[in-house]
Order: sequence, then C-alpha cells, then structure tokens
Amino acid sequence: MKALVHAELIKLRSTRMTAVLLSATLGLVMLTIATNVPGVFGGTGLLSLDDPRLFAIVVGVGFGVPQVMMALLGVLAFTQEFRYGTASSTYLSEPQRTRVLVAKWLSLGLASVAITVVTLAVSVPFGIALIRSQAGEVSVGAQLLQTVSAAFAVMAAYGVIGVAIGALVRNQIAGVVGVLVWMLAVEQIVVPVLPAVGRWMPWGASSSLLQLGPSYGFDGELLSAQMGGLVLAGYAAAAVALALRITPKRDVM
Amino acid sequence: MTTVAIELNGLTKSFGDVLAVNDVTAVARSGEVTALLGPNGAGKTTTLRMLLGLVAPSSGTATLDGQRYDELPDPVRQVGAVLEASGYHPGRTALDHLRILATASKLPRDAPMRVLAETELAADAGRRVGAFSLGMRQRLGLAAAMLGDPAVLVLDEPTNGLDPPGVRWLRGWVRRLADEGRTVLLSSHALSEVELTADHVLVLANGRLIRSATLAALRAEAGVGSRVRTPDPDRLCAALDAAGHGYRRTEEGLDVDATPEQVGDLAGRHGVVMHGLVGTADLEQAFFRLIQESGPAKPLVSAEGRLS
Repeated sequence: MKALVHAELIKLRSTRMTAVLLSATLGLVMLTIATNVPGVFGGTGLLSLDDPRLFAIVVGVGFGVPQVMMALLGVLAFTQEFRYGTASSTYLSEPQRTRVLVAKWLSLGLASVAITVVTLAVSVPFGIALIRSQAGEVSVGAQLLQTVSAAFAVMAAYGVIGVAIGALVRNQIAGVVGVLVWMLAVEQIVVPVLPAVGRWMPWGASSSLLQLGPSYGFDGELLSAQMGGLVLAGYAAAAVALALRITPKRDVM
Repeated sequence: MTTVAIELNGLTKSFGDVLAVNDVTAVARSGEVTALLGPNGAGKTTTLRMLLGLVAPSSGTATLDGQRYDELPDPVRQVGAVLEASGYHPGRTALDHLRILATASKLPRDAPMRVLAETELAADAGRRVGAFSLGMRQRLGLAAAMLGDPAVLVLDEPTNGLDPPGVRWLRGWVRRLADEGRTVLLSSHALSEVELTADHVLVLANGRLIRSATLAALRAEAGVGSRVRTPDPDRLCAALDAAGHGYRRTEEGLDVDATPEQVGDLAGRHGVVMHGLVGTADLEQAFFRLIQESGPAKPLVSAEGRLS
C-alpha cells in the first residue's frame, strides 16, 4: 500500500494542475478573508470587530475555497485517469481496484494535510494583519484551536468525497462541473436562505464543524460542531461505501 | 520447448444486446508470437482487456499461466501490456510516467531509464509526453510494458501510428522477445503487418474465432505461385511439364503453380537463365476470404465503436 500511495503522490506532483489549483486557491483565500473582516471593503459586514470569535471565524471562512479545491483534486485523481486513459495502466499495476481506491484516499488525505498547513500559513498572518488594520481584536482562544482542527478534518473529508465522486462519475467535465455547481451555486444559496435544510448538506455540515454561523449572520441555525462533524463523516462514509461497491465491477475500455 | 502461457476458454462478452466476443477458445504459447487478427470491431480489444482483467467476461475464462490476471502475485513482473487506448497525461514527462508505474509495482529505481534506453527514448526522458509523436508514444507504451521484464507481452495494435522504420523496429523487437522464450500476443487488423513476425494466427471476425493456425498453414491454404522472367521460356516450360507443375504464359512472363523455391531449383538443375523470380501467393487475399466467409456482414455499429 505504501508503494501505491507513493505512486499516487507522484501523480499529484508531476503535473502542473496541483500547483495551479493551489496558487489560485491561496489567492481566493486572501480575498475571502478580506471580504469577511469588517471594514476592509467598507460597510460593516455580518461580523463584528468586537466579537472575540472574529479571528477564529475569519480563519474558518478562509477554508471555503480550499475545501472546494480538495473536492476537485479528489475528483481529478480519478477522472484524469479516465480522460487520458491511464486508468488501464494503473489497474494493470494493481488489479485489486479497492487497493487503488484506498491509495488515492490516503494520498489525498496526506495532500489535504499539506494544503491545510499552507492555507493556514497564509490565512493566519493575513487575517491578523487585516483585523489589526481595522483596530479589531485578535484573540486566540479555544474556538481557534477547534477551527484549526476542524479545518484538517473538513479538508480530508472533501478529498475523500472527491475521489469517490471521480470514481463513480469518471467523466471529467461532468465531475468537475457537477462539484462546482453543487458547492458554489446550490449550497451557497440553500445554506444561507434555508439553513434548516442547508445545515444537513455537506457545506452546511462543514460550516457547522468550523463554527461559521456568524459569518452567515445567524447564530444557532447551523448544527453543533460535533453534529456537523458527524454529518460530514457520514457523507464521506457513504461516498466511500458506494465507490468501493461499484468501482471493482466496472469495465475499463 | 514451448508451453501454453495464455489460455482463453469459452470467453464471451456482451455489452447490452451486442455480443462483442462470442465463445473464444484459444491458446498462445511461450517462445512464439501469436497474432490476434481481425477487422475493426471484431472483438480483439475486448478480448485482450478481458485477459488483462480490465473487462469482466460475461462467461468463460482467460488465464495467464493458469491464473486470472487479478490472481497474479506480481502482475507487472509477469505480464507487460500495451493497450490501444492506454494513454499518458500529456503534461507529465516520460520519466515521471514510468516512475509512477515502477513505484506502484515496487520495481528497481533504474527500471524506467533501462526501458527508455531499450526503446531508444533515453534522450527524451525529461520531455512532456504531450510533445511526443504518435510513434514515440507507442514506444513509450512498449517501454512501460517492459518495466517489469515480463515473460508475457500483450500488445493491442502496436503498429498503429508507426512509420515504416518504426514498424521494422517493432518487428525485430517483438521477434527478439519471442526468441528469448517470452510469449507475445499481439492484435492487428492487417495480416500484412504480422506476416513477417507471427508464428501463429488467431483470426477473429464478428466476435468469433474463425481460424487458429500457424502462419505456414495459412500460407499453404493461400495457395502457391511464382512469376518468372526468363529469356528462354520454352526450356523452362519443358522442365515444368516434366516436373508436373502447371503454368500460364503472360505478358510479364510465366505464372507457375509452384513455390519460388521449387521453380528456382528446377531452373538451376536445367541450367535455365532467369531474370526474375517472385512469389505470388496472396496471404492477404486468403485472410479477407476467411473473414468474408465467416458469416453475416459486420453490424453497422461495431461493439468497439459503440463503446468509444
């Protein structure tokens, strides 16, 4: 398994895709943070500069785009193999397809740790600088630690879900467009407008786990962090189970 | 001594209501080049993919040394494959492409450079595959197949995209591998491409195996014939009459119902000067005859076409 995971990590590193996605993501992380710190773009926004949770929420909000990136990387891990026909050689090297799936999950899990660390390396100093520039309070409390731990879990979960979607959908355009439309359109409307429904969706669950309620302008509408974590884990487990069930039986032409 | 390395037994595959491969039973032996021949859509690719565990048979079995591909303990060291559609990420270098495969199969670190050298691609190791010509990609596919130095090679249409020198190179390469005792199973849609390489031919049409024969047997079936140019046709005709070979006089010379070897020997014994002697048995025609006689016309949408 170690060899397979190593091979998957070389796949991630040996094309420009990962670097391009990561650079774009980090730019968007900074933009997200800037729009969420009150006063940076004028106006008052939904958050308050006096709120002691502000810094934790800003760091958590900064993981919105990276979680989309993790889902896309996961989707691409499989759909690129089908698009370019490398799935055949992958399965010839390891005919037990469940092992290939597990290797992709593990490699995306490892990648998620690295990308989370890089995101924090950008979002933490940038968030501190912007909040201070508005004379706001930067407090490092329990919620910040919870948010940082939650970020690692959310990023890993989206990588796992992405791989499963890629294994099931196989078509790259359908997979990528589907994920983008769902995460950036459907959920962005349903979660703030209908939180009673949206909180049970993956984005609502991850927002609950990251304790981002105030960034939507409401408190108590999302799930508890624990419940959010459970729901997200449930989605990941369902995706894993479905991929494990269907992938080994499919013909590769 | 040759042994059976690949065995197809009642192999059948249907995609919906299209029967792509229909009850194929055949073997390929070690030390031989076995060619799976048939027109496009005959079921060659599906057959090879079933052998390699990429497509699940509807019924029947395909084994390598008695085991299904997914049962092989060390598949890449036992079997190398080049598949028609098996591709490359265009943004990846040739070396990275091979490093991924070598890493996944725990092969030695120097394996990628070794096979790149064997396929004359060492100088292009660091180039992105997107910039490769079709012929170079075919060779990269062969390099990938040789990574584990396997005893069995499965090549799907390996000559596609190769220029004439490339085809000649491939022919020599395949022959050398078989002479080393390896088993080579390759598919092709043209007999002329494998005529100089294959020992054994499996002819597939409409998903059915319609002929399994040595190339020598196919040649015998195709008939024998020679065309002779000589300044002294009368003496040669007398010799042919005496030896019991039929012939016809044409504008280009004599068409003789005998092999070039027989005609050459006869002319030599009778001291007849010859200015030209070529074999005229048409193996390709015999191949087309076989396929045409095999049954109903090909469906408009072939099984392979429908999937692509």
